[in-house]
Amino acid sequence: MATPIFVTAASIAAELHQAMLEAKGLALTAKNARALAVRAGSKTVGFKAITHFIDELASDIIRQSQYINEVSEGLSQQAVSLWRASMAAEKFDWIAQQHEHNLASLQSAMQQSRQQKEQLSQTLSRGLRELEQQLEEGDKHIRTANLIATSSKVEAASAGDFRNQLEVIAHNITDTADKIRAHLSRARNLLSQRQSFA
Amino acid sequence: MLATTLYEDGDHRWIMFGRDPHKTEGIIDTNQYLVQSGNQAILLDPGGIELFAPMLSAVLKFVRADQITHLFASHQDPDIISSLGLWDQALPNARLYSPWLWEGFIRHFGMEKIEYCAIPDEGMSISLGRIQLQFIPAHYLHSSGNFHVYDPKANILMSGDVGAALEDTDAPLWVDNMSTHIPKMKKFHQRWMPSNEAKIDWIRRVRQLDIDIMAPQHGRLFRPPFIGEFLNWFEDLPVGIAIR
Ligand SMILES: [Fe+2]
Ligand SMILES: [Fe+2]
Repeated sequence: MATPIFVTAASIAAELHQAMLEAKGLALTAKNARALAVRAGSKTVGFKAITHFIDELASDIIRQSQYINEVSEGLSQQAVSLWRASMAAEKFDWIAQQHEHNLASLQSAMQQSRQQKEQLSQTLSRGLRELEQQLEEGDKHIRTANLIATSSKVEAASAGDFRNQLEVIAHNITDTADKIRAHLSRARNLLSQRQSFA
Repeated sequence: MLATTLYEDGDHRWIMFGRDPHKTEGIIDTNQYLVQSGNQAILLDPGGIELFAPMLSAVLKFVRADQITHLFASHQDPDIISSLGLWDQALPNARLYSPWLWEGFIRHFGMEKIEYCAIPDEGMSISLGRIQLQFIPAHYLHSSGNFHVYDPKANILMSGDVGAALEDTDAPLWVDNMSTHIPKMKKFHQRWMPSNEAKIDWIRRVRQLDIDIMAPQHGRLFRPPFIGEFLNWFEDLPVGIAIR
């Protein structure tokens, strides 16, 4: 059975909300890493430079997650309106099959509900395409996160006494990137399932 | 959906809808009423969302959609008005008369186009075509903001959940024997009606009205002498007793 689109959109919004929380955690990790790198001095210059990228990446992900979240919540709301218009249109069609009596007096309501249904379906399709693009964008961020994690590990290896602590941070980055990737891919899966527009 | 004409005088009529043979299992059977005068009509307690399509279909056999200018919801219950979101699509120019107390709640059923006309606690009259209808206070019977509808020309009182009985959908339309009918009303009134004081006050006011038909929202309708017998029985019935 196809999932009602308002359920899908709300679920996507929830996934992106989780991704955003993870990204906030990532920003905190970047902050800690920078503090540590400052204390460690010359041996961790490379790491310090990386923290800047982590920070930037985290705020990119936060901004994007918030945007996708907004878009999907809007879609969910529109989908509920569409469901109502479709339900009314369906009931009117049923009535038209029962008898012809005074049916003309229902014409304008019937036409309006059909029009509204048409309009909302179009808006929804556009919104869904936009969501798809945004989620693809999100995948790019994940690839960047993985690159940063790899370089962090390399830098950690040459950080002497601070090696262990920096390795923990590098591990944190990988871990968070994995979690965000999982949320994004769940969101994409939800989007690729068969949608019922009403 | 069965339709029965209760009263007809020229273009002034009362039609009752109910006893729907296709009703979904498990939902309580309800009576809906259409009052028409000339080019205007009002639907009294239009019913639940499940009933919308059969109701509108049945109503169109009597009036055009644009003639349904008014809706009335005696109180906020789902069996009364959960169909509102769909009527809103069908009758964008209609006005809904309902207790002021419930406006913020009833709007949850979905209402973008229909206009909410709040009935004040003391009730009010409206004109419909060439007749006047009175919204009579029936607070706490059972809802804390609740009205009945009285038509002083047809002498009909739509009494909402007062006089309601739980019966099979194929039950006869009219009460014909109080002693067999009372068991079908007793528990309903004792459990749903919370206030003996409100009950006594309502009975006192209703006894002053000229009533040929008392038409509840569930079960059979009353004609004299059963209207008087009902009022006497209700007067003696202790209500709001679930805590005992
Ligand atoms: Fe009720
Ligand atoms: Fe009821």
